[in-house]
Amino acid sequence: MSTNNKQGGDWKSISGLPLKQFYSEHDIPQAYRERLRADPGEPPFHRGAHPTGYRTKAWRIFQLSGFGKPEDENERIRFLLEQGETGFIMEHDRNTGDHCYNVDHPDVVARREDVGLTGAVMQSVRDIDICMKDLPLETSYGHAGGAVVQHAPFALAGYWTVARQRGVDLARLPGTGQSDFFLTYLGCVTKQQVPTAAGLRFNADIMEFCNEHLPRWVPVSIAGYNGADTGLNAYQELGALFANAVEYLEEIKRRGTMPLEAAARACGGVNFRASMDLFEEASKMRAARLMWQQLLQQRYGITNPKVANLRIHCVTAGSRMTYQQPLNNIVRGTVMALAAALGGVQSLGVSGYDEALSIPSEHAHQMSVRIQQILQQETNIQAVTDPLGGSYYVETLTAELVERAWVFFEEIQEQGGFLATLDSGWLHERAAENQSEDFRQQESGEQVIIGVTDHKDDISPFEVDGFMGVDDAYDVALERLHDVRRTRYEAGAHRALKALESVCRSDQNIMPAMMESLEAEVTLGEIGDVYRSVFGDWATPIQT
Amino acid sequence: MNTAGKRILMAKTGLDGHWRGPTVVAKALRDAGFEVIMIGMARPEEVMQASIDEDVDLVGLNIGGHVDVAVRAIGMVRESRPEVPIFVGGVVPPHAKRKLEGLGVEVYPPGSQLPDIVAAAIRLTGAA
Repeated sequence: MSTNNKQGGDWKSISGLPLKQFYSEHDIPQAYRERLRADPGEPPFHRGAHPTGYRTKAWRIFQLSGFGKPEDENERIRFLLEQGETGFIMEHDRNTGDHCYNVDHPDVVARREDVGLTGAVMQSVRDIDICMKDLPLETSYGHAGGAVVQHAPFALAGYWTVARQRGVDLARLPGTGQSDFFLTYLGCVTKQQVPTAAGLRFNADIMEFCNEHLPRWVPVSIAGYNGADTGLNAYQELGALFANAVEYLEEIKRRGTMPLEAAARACGGVNFRASMDLFEEASKMRAARLMWQQLLQQRYGITNPKVANLRIHCVTAGSRMTYQQPLNNIVRGTVMALAAALGGVQSLGVSGYDEALSIPSEHAHQMSVRIQQILQQETNIQAVTDPLGGSYYVETLTAELVERAWVFFEEIQEQGGFLATLDSGWLHERAAENQSEDFRQQESGEQVIIGVTDHKDDISPFEVDGFMGVDDAYDVALERLHDVRRTRYEAGAHRALKALESVCRSDQNIMPAMMESLEAEVTLGEIGDVYRSVFGDWATPIQT
Repeated sequence: MNTAGKRILMAKTGLDGHWRGPTVVAKALRDAGFEVIMIGMARPEEVMQASIDEDVDLVGLNIGGHVDVAVRAIGMVRESRPEVPIFVGGVVPPHAKRKLEGLGVEVYPPGSQLPDIVAAAIRLTGAA
C-alpha cells in the first residue's frame, strides 16, 4: 500500500510493476497493440461496455451503510438517498449475520456491546421489514445484505419476501446481495461458517433461483475488494477474482441446470477495490474487462456482448484511510474515486473519512456522496468514455496487469482452483507476505503515508471522534427475538425449518425452502443451527 | 534486551475476523524473541482463563468492536492476574482510547508502527 514505491533509483507501481520515466508506443507489448483499435463498446471491452459511457448512465453512488436497530439503519439509508445516493446497501449486524447466530447465542451475549456496531440486527423477516420501510425497491437498486456466503440465502430470502409482501413482482426486482467468498474466507474470517463446498452450493443455488425467478437480480458479486484489502496486489486481485468466477461456472456446467451464458451473466457483476496508485488502479478496471472477455471466449466460447461485458462496482480502499489526520482521507477518497471513474466502473462507494475510527458518521457518509457528485457534476469527467485510452503508459500497464494476472490465475488453477487455495491457506499466505512487506517498507521509509509515517503534525481544529452508534441495539434485538418466538405460528415455523433441513441434506436447491422459512418467521440462528448440524464448520487454515 | 522466555497472549475481543493486524503484530513480536500465544476470537472469560493457563507476562488485545467488551476482558484479567500488563490495538477511536488509557492500558491504534509496538512489549514485560 505504497504511494511512493521507490527503491534506489527504481520506481515501481504499488503492485511492484517496474515503471519507466515515460512511455512510448514501442513499450506497448506487440500482442496487445491490435486491441488499441477497439472502441468502447467493442470487444475485448477493456475500453468499456458502451460507447456513450457515463453520458447515458452515470456511475451509481452506492454506499455501504448500516448500524443499530433496523429503524436506525433505515433512517440512515433514507438520509443517503436524500443526499443523492442512487442505490442503497442494507448492512446486517456482523456478529449475528456473519455467523448466523441470534443475539442470545453465548458468543454474542459475551460481546453484547458489539451488537449493531456495523450493521442492523436482523434476525427475522420482521426486522428486515422495518429496515426496508419506504425504500424505493423498484426504482432504486438495493443491496439486500448477505455479503457473507452463509448469510446470503437468509438475507436475500428476507428481502425478497418483504418485497413480495409489498406487492412487488420479483421478476422486476433489481438488486444484489454479493455472497462473496473473499470476505469471510480470506479477509475477515468468521469464527464459524460452512465449509467452502457448501458455500459453493449456496451460491450456485442462488444463481439458479434468480435465473428462474429474479432475472434482474445480480445473484452473486465476486468481491476482489476483500482480497485486495487483505493484502493481495492488483494483479493478484484480478487473477483470484476470475479463478473464483471459474469455480461458479464449472459448478453450473456440472449441474447442467441453467444455460452457461446465463450463469456467466449472473457472475459478471463484480466488485474491485480502488487504491492509491491512480494509474495502476484505473488500468486494473480496464484489465478486468479485457480478462472477462478473454476468459468467456477462450474457455467457454461465449461471445455475446451482453454477457462478455463485465460490470464493475468499486469501493475505495478502507485500509488506506488513516486514523491520524482523518480529514486527509477526503483527499484519499477523491483520488481513489477518480481512479475508479477513469477506469470506467458502473458503481462506486467511497470510504468514509472516519473509516479507521468507526463506521461512517452521517457527515462522513455525506462527504462520500459529495466527493462523487463533485466528480460527476463539476469536472466533466463523464463527457468522454475511457479518457485514458491510448495513453502509452496506461495501455502498457493494462497489458502488464493482464499478463501477470493470468499467471496468478494459473497458479491457483494448478492447486485445484480458487476454493482449494482458500482451504489450504495459500491465498492467505500471499496476502500476509504483502502485508509484512508493506510494514517493512514503511519502516525503511520507502513507503510514505502522510500523517502516519511523515508529516505527523496535525493542527486541525476539528476533532473527529468516530461515530458512536446507538446503545440499545442488543436489548431491542433480544426483545424482538423473544417476541417473534412468542407470537409466530409455531407449528408453521417448525415445519418450514424441518423442510429446510431436509433440503439441506439433499441436493435440491435450498432457496425455495429458505423462502418458506422466512415467510414462516424462522429466525437466523435457527437456520444457522441447521447449517452447523448438516454441513459442519470450515477448517480455518489460519490463526485468526 | 532479554525477550527469551517472555510470553505474550494475543486475543481478539470481538467476533470480527479481521486477522491482518494481529498476525502482523504477532510475527513482529516473535521475530523479537517473544513467545506469542494466539487464541483468536475469545470471550472476556476465555481471555482471563488463557492468561492464567498460559502463564503469560503480557496480554495484547485486538479490538474490532465496542471498547466496553475489551474493558470487561481487562477487568477480568486484572482480577485474577493483577501483575500482568495489558496493551491494546485495533480500531480504537479517540473516545475509546481515552477510556482505555484511563485504565492504565497502552493503546496502539491503526497506523502504529511495529517497532513502537515491539518496544512497548519489551518495556512492559521487563525484558529491557
